[in-house]
Amino acid sequence: MKKLNKKLPRSGAEWLRALHNFLSNNVVPIMFVLICAYCIPRADLSWSYLLNEGMTRLGRNAFLILSLLIPVMAGMGMNFGMTLGAMAGEIGLIFAADWQVWGIPGLILAAIISIPISIVLGIMIGKLLNLAKGREMITSYMISFAMDGVYQFVVLFMMGPIIPIIHDSLKLPRGYGIRNTVSLLNMRQSLDNLLAVSVGGVKIPVLTLIIIAAACLFILWFRRTKLGQDMRAVGQDMEVARDAGINVERTRVISMVISTVFAGFGMIIYLQNVGNFPTYTAHTQIGMFSIAALLVGGASVEKASIKNVFLGVILFHTMFIVAPRTGTVITGDSMIGEYFRVFVSYAVITIALVMYEAKKRKAKSAAGLQLAADQLAEEEAKAK
Amino acid sequence: MKNKTSNRRLIFQIAAVVVLIAIAYAMTIVGRGHTVYLDNKKLEYDGKTYDTPYKVVVLVDGEQVAKLYDRERGSATCIGQKFTVTLEITEKKGGNETTQTYTIPLPKNMDGIIINLPAYLAGLGEDAYLTEFIPSPDAEIVEEDTPSGDDFGMDDMTMDEVPVG
Repeated sequence: MKKLNKKLPRSGAEWLRALHNFLSNNVVPIMFVLICAYCIPRADLSWSYLLNEGMTRLGRNAFLILSLLIPVMAGMGMNFGMTLGAMAGEIGLIFAADWQVWGIPGLILAAIISIPISIVLGIMIGKLLNLAKGREMITSYMISFAMDGVYQFVVLFMMGPIIPIIHDSLKLPRGYGIRNTVSLLNMRQSLDNLLAVSVGGVKIPVLTLIIIAAACLFILWFRRTKLGQDMRAVGQDMEVARDAGINVERTRVISMVISTVFAGFGMIIYLQNVGNFPTYTAHTQIGMFSIAALLVGGASVEKASIKNVFLGVILFHTMFIVAPRTGTVITGDSMIGEYFRVFVSYAVITIALVMYEAKKRKAKSAAGLQLAADQLAEEEAKAK
Repeated sequence: MKNKTSNRRLIFQIAAVVVLIAIAYAMTIVGRGHTVYLDNKKLEYDGKTYDTPYKVVVLVDGEQVAKLYDRERGSATCIGQKFTVTLEITEKKGGNETTQTYTIPLPKNMDGIIINLPAYLAGLGEDAYLTEFIPSPDAEIVEEDTPSGDDFGMDDMTMDEVPVG
């Protein structure tokens, strides 16, 4: 109680300052709460539909978004390179589908196949980002575009003649390369349906949620390990961490490897829920939407937590569910809602990045002023 | 000391790789999917004719997947190397129905498997009741557009201009 009293603001000015801090720190989630509060009644969707869709999207996306937390911890910002992990997951699924391994065993096989690919890609992107310190986000964004070309080359030209693909149903009619859509009909929702329970008409994918909870526990445990502490130290100040004997470059590479492997698993969970995937485009927007969801949850480029993941999924995807319908109700055209949600996704990332940069500059200038004041005080003391 | 630690780490890494490969291999066996086609068709084998029952109701995991009369085919999917099926057999029209559950071993290397029910019910060998289903080649080859768009204005290019093999 004493501790609580200590934390509570005492005067009106303190209350105002606290409110201002709260609003400025949570402007994006608050904006989304307002958007959802406006859209939900107008969309006129039933609560059971909303909850069902929300639960589906929570199970589908949460793991992918969790994969972004570790690079943030290591001070590498939002990992747009998670797309590479998504590509690894897709390659795993292509092989599982080709070898006709169905159901949960197919998903496990896809996950195991994705691990070495994700590790190699994670090491590669980690090493490249070590060469571009301070510009990790834009670099990882560009790397994901570059690697998309490599992915297309592998899947479009190497699968068939060099990498054996058994079934013609997966190959393009010309005899090599994978078709534009890979069907996962025999794996569809196998994870979501196992142990699923229905509560008031809302399907709860218990096993998927258990896996997500396990990933959360892993992240919580990992933060407390020596490596996790090293990552946090690197994230706070690389030079101080280096002076403390931490191998900064290696730590950063490991964070990228973990993130990429997680993204591969996340993509497999995502695609098993959908039931098929467009071979050449499934991964392209996944980084963008996952990052947008995390930022909507109140995360910033330098700070993100598990609570941001879940708040982000709920708010961002509620907006996704209700926006088209709201657009239809208000303007008579559902496409308006579609445009709106795409606009909002990109706008959120922009706002978050601008705010991060503004805050950083403000902090830097405050630190500069403090330093100048300290120096002045020191000089005055010397003069006396 | 450092050598000992790195040796131990190497052993753990190798063990992890071996375990993952073993799990992956196990998954390819336990998760191998098959499409099983059940034929209720008369069979001539070794000079003997095996006639069809009047009606066979096929149940997999308690769910009815087919009701087969003479010269009819039903299908079901199966994961693993054993196909457990319950057959409700009516030998003659208006006759009694007998229910029996069978576990049929399936070969790992076949995607589609045809099981001739009269031969299987007569207790014949695998070579008599089991054949591989080979899908007919596509009658018409439809060329699929391979990806060429990249948000840099290449969408406007025709497929002739983009080398796609």
